[in-house]
Amino acid sequence: MNNLRFTTYLTSNIGTDKAVLEQLLSHCSIREFKKGEFLLSQGEKCRYSFFVERGLLRQFSIDDKGKEHIIQFAPENWFMSDRESVYFDRPSSYFMQALEDTVTFLLDENLFLELSKSDTAFLEFNNRLLHNHIRHLQRRITQLQSATAEERYLDFIRMYPDLLLRVPQIFVASYLGITPESLSRVRKELARKNR
Amino acid sequence: MATKTVESVVSPREPHFVGDGFRVHNFIPSAYRLDMKRMDPIIMMDYNSKYYFAPSEIPKGVGVHPHRGFETVTIAYKGKVEHHDSAGGGGVIGEGDVQWMTAASGVLHKEFHEKEWSKKGGEFQMVQLWVNLPAKDKMSVPKYQSIENATMSRYTLENDQGEVEVIAGEYQGVKGAASTFTPLHLLNAKLKKGATARFNFPAGFNTALLVIEGGIKVNGTEEAPTDHFVLMANEGEEFSLEATEDAVVLVMSGEPINEPIAAHGPFVMNTRQELLQAFDDFNKGKFGYLED
Repeated sequence: MNNLRFTTYLTSNIGTDKAVLEQLLSHCSIREFKKGEFLLSQGEKCRYSFFVERGLLRQFSIDDKGKEHIIQFAPENWFMSDRESVYFDRPSSYFMQALEDTVTFLLDENLFLELSKSDTAFLEFNNRLLHNHIRHLQRRITQLQSATAEERYLDFIRMYPDLLLRVPQIFVASYLGITPESLSRVRKELARKNR
Repeated sequence: MATKTVESVVSPREPHFVGDGFRVHNFIPSAYRLDMKRMDPIIMMDYNSKYYFAPSEIPKGVGVHPHRGFETVTIAYKGKVEHHDSAGGGGVIGEGDVQWMTAASGVLHKEFHEKEWSKKGGEFQMVQLWVNLPAKDKMSVPKYQSIENATMSRYTLENDQGEVEVIAGEYQGVKGAASTFTPLHLLNAKLKKGATARFNFPAGFNTALLVIEGGIKVNGTEEAPTDHFVLMANEGEEFSLEATEDAVVLVMSGEPINEPIAAHGPFVMNTRQELLQAFDDFNKGKFGYLED
């Protein structure tokens, strides 16, 4: 288990003792999803936080007109979950789908709660994870409200350096909340400036 | 001169699609013991074994993608490929032709079945190799070499036994047209049934064969059928190929560059820092722009 991204992630992010990590590891399962396979559909309850060991996930909603809106990508070392569905036990508004053959660790919410009660280091870790998530979402809202297409794109490539090589541009445009044409314009303009 | 023996005969792995136009078996770096170091300077080899593509009005292929730090060598055995790049270059690789693209500091390109060929459909068979560049040349200016079959250097075997096309390097004094950054021999041995051809490469060169058509026996003992890859040992220099039926064999032998490799996706550099730089340059448009 030592050469896994997940264990490296845990040991470098949780200042807790080995026993708690062992307990955590022994309670989460590994699941593989084939490219295109869904981990969650709208209306279902999300039961897990998924840690991406290898591969790539996307989380998206579909509006009344049938248009998809990508809210998050999760490449290696990212978590993906619908916190609302998991925590408040509500049907999800989102779909989660594997964009590549993907290996995930499934973390059960009850496990999070139990470990948070019994281990302060873990509680601190989970807190940090949550606040990081909130920070990320706030940033997204501000961007979608006020940033130019170019600013959104530049932020995107900082956050996800290799995604342009892994997903179609139409997905990137969907995430950025701009049309594929305007993404193409931004990239062309950057190429002109940076050449 | 000692005999260079066979280290292993590798069966083709389950094929996968690159884009929708190339159905390939990857040998390097995914086959057992064929990581990027083993066949250095050849760090990737995808083989589209003979496969029938149905007629298609919309040409199938791979959309815009970048490369940096190495060369791509496309050898067309059947079918035709059209390519375009961000520097305004483009062309058609026809049956028997070879395209040698030095991506070096970086190009964006796309590769599709040639328009008219795609409309008719047909059998398609190609090899794509990635040839690594030494650190000092990784950021050199991109360039193309087109080696057309009609003008390719050839060595004719005695008694009408067939011929050896020399793409790069040398065979029996005949030199190939492609210039390479490090010593590399790339040959197509086209042998008639029963014919034998002898090869001689330095022991330290990484050497392998890919059976494109027919079947062969190496050194009179090791059999390799169609679509199989033969890895030769790094000991001895001489070996022979005998065609057990009419055969076409791609023969590769190169001097290892022996430098660190940091690779991710379409970039092959020496350090992780250079890799991150490659992603950043690509994202920021420093490879230019090419319409999908």
